[in-house]
Amino acid sequence: MTNFRHIKKGPRRTDGALIVTGRADFTGDISLPGMLFGKILRSPYPHARIVEINTEKAKKLEGVKEVITGKDIGYRRFSFIDTPAFPADQTPLAVDKVRFVGEGVAAVAAISEDIAVTALHLIDVKYEELPPVFDPEEAMKDGAPAVHETIEPNTTTAWEDFGIPSTKSRPYKAVNNISNRNLIEYGDIGKGFEDADYLKEDRFEIPSTSHMAMEPHAAVASYQPTGKLDVWLSHMGFEHKRFWLAKLLDMPISRVRVHKTYVGGAFGGKISIFPYEFIAAYLSRLTLRPLKITLTREEVFCVCPPSRRMIVYLKTGVKKDGTITAQQVKVIDDVGAYRGSSPTALYLAHVFRNPIYNIPNLKHEGYGVYTNKLYTTAKRGHGLQQIVFAVESQLDMICDELGLDKVEMRLKNFRKKGDTLPNGDMLRSYGLPECLEEAAKKIGWREKYGKKKFRGLGIGTASMFSGAHNFPFSSAAMIRLNQDGRMILYTGQAEFGNGVDTVMAQIAAEVLDCPLDYVIVNSGDSEVSPHDLGNWLSGGVFVSGEAVRRAALDLKDQMLQHAAAGLDIPVEDLSIRDGWIIPGSDESKKLSFSDISRYGIQMAGGDPLIGKGFSKCVPEVYFWKGKFNKTASLSSGKGRFTEAYGLTLAIAEVEVNPNTGEVEIVEVVLADDCGTPINVKSVEGQIMSQAVMGIGDVFYEEVKIKNGIVMNPNLLEYRVPTANDIPKITSIIVDSYEPNGPFGAKEVGESPRAAAISAIANAICNAIGERIYTLPMTGDRIMEALHSKNT
Amino acid sequence: MLAYHLNVLDMNLMNALIRDRDLWGEKWRKTMKRSVLLSVNGERREVFIKPNSTLLEVLRDELLLTGAKEACGSGECGACTVLVDGKPVNSCITLAMEAEGKAIETIEGLSKEGKLHPLQEAFIDHHAFQCGFCTPGMIMSAKAFLKRSPEPTKEEIRNAISGNICRCTGYENAVDAILDTAVGTEK
Repeated sequence: MTNFRHIKKGPRRTDGALIVTGRADFTGDISLPGMLFGKILRSPYPHARIVEINTEKAKKLEGVKEVITGKDIGYRRFSFIDTPAFPADQTPLAVDKVRFVGEGVAAVAAISEDIAVTALHLIDVKYEELPPVFDPEEAMKDGAPAVHETIEPNTTTAWEDFGIPSTKSRPYKAVNNISNRNLIEYGDIGKGFEDADYLKEDRFEIPSTSHMAMEPHAAVASYQPTGKLDVWLSHMGFEHKRFWLAKLLDMPISRVRVHKTYVGGAFGGKISIFPYEFIAAYLSRLTLRPLKITLTREEVFCVCPPSRRMIVYLKTGVKKDGTITAQQVKVIDDVGAYRGSSPTALYLAHVFRNPIYNIPNLKHEGYGVYTNKLYTTAKRGHGLQQIVFAVESQLDMICDELGLDKVEMRLKNFRKKGDTLPNGDMLRSYGLPECLEEAAKKIGWREKYGKKKFRGLGIGTASMFSGAHNFPFSSAAMIRLNQDGRMILYTGQAEFGNGVDTVMAQIAAEVLDCPLDYVIVNSGDSEVSPHDLGNWLSGGVFVSGEAVRRAALDLKDQMLQHAAAGLDIPVEDLSIRDGWIIPGSDESKKLSFSDISRYGIQMAGGDPLIGKGFSKCVPEVYFWKGKFNKTASLSSGKGRFTEAYGLTLAIAEVEVNPNTGEVEIVEVVLADDCGTPINVKSVEGQIMSQAVMGIGDVFYEEVKIKNGIVMNPNLLEYRVPTANDIPKITSIIVDSYEPNGPFGAKEVGESPRAAAISAIANAICNAIGERIYTLPMTGDRIMEALHSKNT
Repeated sequence: MLAYHLNVLDMNLMNALIRDRDLWGEKWRKTMKRSVLLSVNGERREVFIKPNSTLLEVLRDELLLTGAKEACGSGECGACTVLVDGKPVNSCITLAMEAEGKAIETIEGLSKEGKLHPLQEAFIDHHAFQCGFCTPGMIMSAKAFLKRSPEPTKEEIRNAISGNICRCTGYENAVDAILDTAVGTEK
């Protein structure tokens, strides 16, 4: 397929004019008549019992409409993962005790934000301080303070609500603060290490970084007296949000409408329900008035979960020629006060390495550990950059010690197209070796490696799902033909900068062979769009895009049927070209899309012509009543999870100033196997975006927490890359054609970041001839490494 | 434990001290409000505001011009950039009263006669935005910059927008868009 009309091109964003004129409405821009403002009072202690809260004075302040505490809301628990084994552990406001500095204890609704803030100061909270625990490895020891008491679920879990057959919910007692764990094994790890000629063992530590989405988190909720809730949120897909709002407010899901908004960046951080979102809805229901909560940047840094902090113990065995024989991994995920998505992250920290290297014998154990710190969540490659940083760092050290070529060693251990992974996932497309060859050629690896002092080259790899069978388990789309021959496409996809509206329009217009502006996209509105996976686990194009493709095919089929009847010729003799339906032999009888719409209404009983399509990632995994085909187990790693993996290979070249520790990036090359790029410009944008985010990860970014307090909650102290920090970045798209993806497409939104981080980190270590086992690689850490080498 | 109080409990207090007049009472606040005449995108607009209202608050909440965004509230990110007498300012740390009698330009005033400004067209052409939250501010910075440096180098452009943080794009497409506009203007 080479003569695409819209695919593999780089059309302008269909919503571009809205963005550049400032007319795109983000949640913070929504203002409703009679709207109130909410603010949340937050705990100053990392661990304390709430003895008493007195809200009387606050309630008496003029302009205050409502004051609530955790006791008013009660134990309505939520979590990203809520299963019988790992029941939800978080409440919108702390009920009996606070577990991190910044946790909400009370909330105010008032006629202005100013009055709401004033009212917070009139709330009197008596705390009884408890000993906190901050270090996850300390928290795992006997006798450490317990962050959680036994959690007694008082509702069914989300897992059961979805209809997944499971044992009854049970109380969760965190022993030694372990919030969750997994153990994944295959092959024979003992024999694998025996077969090795060389063993390497290391410990790596990866800090939290902030998503630092430009839009501070906000929610507008408007509860109607009819029992309906309208919300405007910063989100990555409405299904999780409305599921949790409905569950926590005890109302039908269908009565919660998540409206379309533009979202000012998400990067994995806006999937789960946030306490402030529930509080906005709850206060709106109490006051029967619309209500807005906007977090300050400081609140975003201090109370919204950043990326996962992980300690990775890694042991790898290799043959003299570099063949990997076994790998043992122990991951400690310092989850903070609440478990959140840790069960997923611990699983992903295993599974994302799977499509890259063929490791015949493996043991991967993971522990989520509660501490009295800000809880953590997914960020662009959930668990991916943490495991990749450890594995790629260690492989480089192994190559150095055995004198192996780092490119050849990796090529030797890569998987192959057609491989089946240990959990049954298949690599129907696999361009990673080609990515490495191309990137090495582009940067001049063989000519440059080891030639210049304090210059270094490094390689990073990464893989990422193209969607998984997570709730709501599939995506659907509808496309409706209008009387003017244009079509409205309904998809639940969320536009948060990914360009998804344009990509979906391209897919539909490609199927219907018509101009792009024939397709008007209505996205991200839960009352209008059919169900949708949302834009996370990178399933947007692969799953929802395929649903759109099938919806367009369905409409096309209906249009051709009507055209055949209207022209009285066989449907096989018809084709669609350039927005016209053309009878094979006679162009003069061609019909417009508008003609078909009229035919449907006048001649086919009023047929409105609506196409529908749907797509389920991993269809063979299902459950319904007694029928049950096992879903993937996060705990044991068994079972299918996705249909296609996107892959990235990055190579970086850097030069280090040995006197100052300053690093100059000479070039970063990222070769990405995303299958067919639907929108080439958007794909390049995703790669560039992640390379730059990776630069921040390597050089500056860390959410610094001391005694439970976020020490750098602003953009002066939490530095992100600016326009002055951008080196030469080259992207190469390796189109491997994924047979199951729409027009051959798969993931691109998450894997490049991890590959970039490892490549740059390895290049720095290569330049200085010394290993740094953590991030960020600041100037002082580099100097310290150089000094330790010289002493 | 004092540190906790200073740092966090009173993150709210700090906000209040800096931005919240209510600590000193509703009455004080009401009496201190006054009428100010602003010129926004060539239109004269009378607003009734508090002395410490920021320009951003007045633009967004009083005049409903929501193109300029608040992302940090402390002048660190540039998302709230508007022009005052042609100069880019962080409107989140500019008092509205300081802008009295000066020409205020916002993203809403950029397109004329139903046509987008060349910078706006170039930003779309070059895929110079993703989520778009920082875009209005960045375009306003670029507009002021091109006026004073009509023939810039890429390096100068990077410098000019280095106060506008973008978390999505990696900046290079925006630099190209601005360069392209400069070249276009020259012709």
